[in-house]
Amino acid sequence: MSKLITKARIATRSSVVFLTLALILVSVTPVLAQDGISVSADGSSAKAVDAPFAISDFTRFNTGTSKTYQGIDYGYRFPMVDADSFAVVVTADTAVVFVPPAVAESSWFRPSLQSETRLIDGGEMTALISMLSALDAAVSNGGVELSAAKRQFILTDETGYQLNGSQIERAVEVEPGHYYITVRQVDITRDKVVDAQTESGIQLDNQTQSQVEPPSGIDVQFVLSGHLKAASEVAIVPAASGFGAFQDFLHGIDYRPFWVSLRTSAVAMVFVFVLGLLAAHLSLKINSRLKGVLDSLFTIPMVLPPTVCGFLLLVLFGNSTAIGRWLIDHGISLVFSWPAAVLAAIVVSFPLMYRTARGAFEALDPALLDAARTLGWKESRIFARLMLPLAWPSIAAGTVLAFARAMGEFGATLFVAGNYAGVTQTMPIAIYFQWMGGHSDIATFWVFVVIVISFVVILFINWYASHTQRFRQGGADLADESPLLPGVKGTPVSVAAGKPEKTKAGNDTAGKTKAGRRR
Amino acid sequence: MLNKKRIKLLLVALSAIALSLIFFGCGGQQSEKKDDTVTPLTSKPVAEQVTLQIFAANSLEKALPEVQKLYMAEHKNVIFSDTQFKASGDLVEQLGAGASADLLITASKGSMDTAAKNGSIDEATRLDMFGNDLIVVRAKGSDVRFGSLQDVTSGSIAKIAIGDAATVPAGQYANQALNSIGLYSGETGKEGQYADTLKGKIVLADKVGTAANYVATGDCQIGFVYTSDLYRYEGIETAYTVPSDAHKAIVYPGAVVKGSTEAEVALDFLDFCRTNPEAQKIWSQFGFEVL
Repeated sequence: MSKLITKARIATRSSVVFLTLALILVSVTPVLAQDGISVSADGSSAKAVDAPFAISDFTRFNTGTSKTYQGIDYGYRFPMVDADSFAVVVTADTAVVFVPPAVAESSWFRPSLQSETRLIDGGEMTALISMLSALDAAVSNGGVELSAAKRQFILTDETGYQLNGSQIERAVEVEPGHYYITVRQVDITRDKVVDAQTESGIQLDNQTQSQVEPPSGIDVQFVLSGHLKAASEVAIVPAASGFGAFQDFLHGIDYRPFWVSLRTSAVAMVFVFVLGLLAAHLSLKINSRLKGVLDSLFTIPMVLPPTVCGFLLLVLFGNSTAIGRWLIDHGISLVFSWPAAVLAAIVVSFPLMYRTARGAFEALDPALLDAARTLGWKESRIFARLMLPLAWPSIAAGTVLAFARAMGEFGATLFVAGNYAGVTQTMPIAIYFQWMGGHSDIATFWVFVVIVISFVVILFINWYASHTQRFRQGGADLADESPLLPGVKGTPVSVAAGKPEKTKAGNDTAGKTKAGRRR
Repeated sequence: MLNKKRIKLLLVALSAIALSLIFFGCGGQQSEKKDDTVTPLTSKPVAEQVTLQIFAANSLEKALPEVQKLYMAEHKNVIFSDTQFKASGDLVEQLGAGASADLLITASKGSMDTAAKNGSIDEATRLDMFGNDLIVVRAKGSDVRFGSLQDVTSGSIAKIAIGDAATVPAGQYANQALNSIGLYSGETGKEGQYADTLKGKIVLADKVGTAANYVATGDCQIGFVYTSDLYRYEGIETAYTVPSDAHKAIVYPGAVVKGSTEAEVALDFLDFCRTNPEAQKIWSQFGFEVL
C-alpha cells in the first residue's frame, strides 16, 4: 500500500503526469455521509460542497455486449458517454476510475491527484467517490450499488489497466465516433502470477505454486460514465418538491384514457339508448313464451362475466374462427380497434338500459295506452308521445347507469379491443396497466378520477329523480289542460305514484327518493 | 308540452355530444400522435409517412420506447403506434387471433417458434436480438436471505412470484431452474407441476412485470424476473442470480410479421436495434445484452 502511494508521489513530483498513477485508495464505502452532495432531479449531475469539480451527463451502463463490429472482436464492451468522458469499471471488490488525460491535467482536478494525503484523509477524492455513489444510488434502481460493497478505488489517467488477468481499455473507438470500455482476458505467464503472489507477501512452497492458476479475469458488474467538469460549469437542477412536484406529476400524465373512455361510452350510449328502448318496446309486444327467451337473451350480458362477453365477441369477430374470418374478408375487421371497444361497451351496458326501460314501460297503466288507441293514435305515436314521456325519469336514470357501466367496462374491452394507448386504453384499463407497470401513482390518479365520476353520476341520478318528480306533476297539470286526453284527468299521476318502487328494478335509488318525497 | 321539448332537447344534446366526441376524439388522437413523433412535417415532405406497430416482450416495456424515440429522430417519416408489451405467449396468441402488427419481439425461442408454426411471422427475417439473465429479486431493503436456488423452500419465504409458464417465458426459465433442483416436474418448464413443498407458495403472474410488481408491493417475498426488470421497476433488488446453466439460454428473437405492409421499415428497425451505437447505450442502461 504505502509503497504504491509513494510511487505515485514520486511520479507526480517528477511531473510525469501522463504516466501517473495507479493511485490506490482504500476507501471505506459506503462512503461517509453523503452530506454536501447535491444531485440533479434526473440523476445526471452532481456537485459536492467545496469540491472544485463536478459531474455531469452521468450514465450507468448495466450490461455490455460481446458483439463483434465488422468482424473484429473487441472482447466484452460497455459504451462510454463519449471520448472525453470518465469511466468507472466496477467489479465485486474493485472500481477502476479512468480519468481522461485532459481532466487529469486540468487545474481543477489535478490538485486532487497530486495531494495524496488529502486523497486519503477525505479531500476531493472522497468527494469524487461520494458524488459517484450519490449519482449511482439515484439511477441504480435496484441494481448493485457502487456503495453496496467495500471496494478498492483505483484512479488512473492511462488508457489501459490490467486487473486480475483482464485488460481494460478506455475509449476504444469501435464504430466511428463511438467509444467503449473493452474488457478482455489476457494471457499471463505463470511466472508473473507467482511474482505477484510473492510480491504481495504470500509465501508459497513449490507444490502449491505449481497448482496456482492464472487469474480467471474479472467480472464487470457495471460501468459508470459521464463528464468531469469544473464545478462552475455544472448547474444542478434539483427535483421539484411539494406543489411543484404535483404540478410536474399532473403535467406528465397522459390524459388520453379519459377522452377514450368518454368517447367510447358516449358513442356506445347512442346505440344503447336506441337499441334498449326498441328492445324494451318489442318485448312488450310479443307473446309471453318468446318474451321469456328474448328477455333472458337481452339480459344475459349483465349476468355473464365480462370476459365471457369478450371471448364470444372475439370468437365472432376474430381471425381464429370461420365466422370471424368471413367477416374480416367482407370488410368487418373489428378486433383490437376502437370500434371493438365501443362494441364491448354496448354489449355490457345494453341490459341496464333495456331492463330499466322495460320496467318503466310495464309500469304504465295499460288503460291509458288503450285510451290513446281508442283515440286513433298510431303505435309509434303512443310510444313517442305517451310512453316515452311518462317513463322518462326511469329511462334517463337507466341511461346514466348504462353510461357509467360503459365507462367502467374492463374485461370485455381488454379481450376484444386490447390496450392501445390513445385508442382503446380506457381509464379502467389504464389503471390496471399503470399499476402493473409499476406506476402506482398514475394508477391512483385514475382511481381518484373514476371515483369522482361515479360519485357525480349517482348524485346526478338522485338529483334528477327528485327534480323530475316536480316535472311530472307539471306534466300532469299540462295533461289536465290537454284537449287530447279529456277522460284521463289525473291518471298519469296515479300511475306514476302507484308503481315505481317495485318496477324499477335497475334503479332503486331513484325509486326510493321518489317514494321518500311522496310520503 | 314542456316535457316533450325537454326530451327532444336532451336527445339532441346527447347525440350532438356523441358526434362531436367522435370527431373531436379522432382529431385529438391524431394530434396526440403528432406529439409522439419528434417530426416536423416540413423536413422531408417526399418520404411517405410510415406507422409501425410492434408487439414486444413485456420486459422491453421501458427500453424499447427509448430506442423508438431515437429511431424517429433519425427517420422523420416513421412513427410508432402504441407498442404492445405483453407476455410473449399472449402476443403470439393475439397475432394468431388477427391483431395486425409489423414486428414481433419475444423473450424466448419457443414463443417465436410457435409464432412461426402459426404462420404469423416471416421466418427469413428472424434473428436473435438480445440476451438477458434470470435473477431472484426481493423488495428493496428486505431481509430475505437467498443464497442458492434451494432456498425457495425456506420457511421465511411465504410467496414466490413466477410468470405463468403458459405464456410468460420468464416463468418457463424459472421453472427450468426449479426443475434442475427437482422442484418442478417438466423439463421444458412449461407443462409440469411444482413439488409439494412449493405448491402453496407459487403466485403466478400474467407477465414478468407483474411478478416484479408483486415483489415490489411486498405481496411476494421473492420473484423470478430478468436482470433488466430491475431497471424498470422501483423497489426491487437482486437477491440471487440464477446460474445460466440452470435454464435454457435467455434469447429474444425478433421477426417481421407476415403480411406486414411496412416490412422493409420493420426490418430496418430490427437492424437499427442491434447495430446503432446510440441504441446500444440504451440497451446497456436497461440491462439487455445485444447479441
